[in-house]
Amino acid sequence: MKFNRKKRQHSNTDVVITSLLDINFLLIMFFLMTAHFQQESHALLNLPKEKGEDKAPPDEAGLVINISDTGDVIVSNKTVAMDELRTLVRKQLDRIKDASHGTENVPPLKLLIRADRDGTTSDLNRVVSMMREMGVGTMCIATEVPQ
Amino acid sequence: MRLRKTASKRRYDRITINLASMIDVSFLLLFYFLVASMLGEEEKRLSTGLQTQGANSASAAGDFQTQVIEVRMIDNQPAYKVGERVCRDRACLAGALEPLPKAQGAFVKVYDTVGVGFAVAAVQIARDAGFEQVTYVPAK
Repeated sequence: MKFNRKKRQHSNTDVVITSLLDINFLLIMFFLMTAHFQQESHALLNLPKEKGEDKAPPDEAGLVINISDTGDVIVSNKTVAMDELRTLVRKQLDRIKDASHGTENVPPLKLLIRADRDGTTSDLNRVVSMMREMGVGTMCIATEVPQ
Repeated sequence: MRLRKTASKRRYDRITINLASMIDVSFLLLFYFLVASMLGEEEKRLSTGLQTQGANSASAAGDFQTQVIEVRMIDNQPAYKVGERVCRDRACLAGALEPLPKAQGAFVKVYDTVGVGFAVAAVQIARDAGFEQVTYVPAK
């Protein structure tokens, strides 16, 4: 019996995914780098719901101070006392001064305060008063864009 | 004469690497970071001045005075006070700031007992009203 033996022709459809993998890995590396830097200094808080300023994206803050609704002051993921905060700010100011190599034009400390909107201003005022005493001239208050 | 086999007849052993799992893991990682970065709320900033001790006070006598917005509790409720006018909401404060001269900026004087959200709103409203220089002053 002669069986019909048809040689099935398998069509070769090659999909070149080399470029796709390259782009994929580039994206992964990008998100790995950016996600890491953001989480360290920003505590999980309910920020005041304000639209903020319509300026170009700001530079990275020199010092980020988080104030929770219970009055805890958090810097770099650690709760600090007011004395420690004073020391940290002093170090930052000295670092900026050293970096300016003794010139008169010392750039200001870029201070970002992230305060929980449900907290009272007594804690915020305490921190701001300290900054004033130490000669910090400007600060930025972080807000959450309302949706 | 026995000649060597030509190159086309040499057997090459194929080494195959199965990349299917690696591609799956890499797409999962990409998806994870995409989602994680999108979950964060968009943050903006409000820049304010701090009246440092010893600096020239803008409240010194001059042709134009700095406007002062007090944020405090009045009758056990948070309120904004501009001169003699007391405001309880944003619209009222915006209306109170509108006719004022903006050249010398504004001081937002915040007392201890109000909420942070309420105080920051005063800074935002002053900025929206056209005050270029807004200074946050903790009240004692």
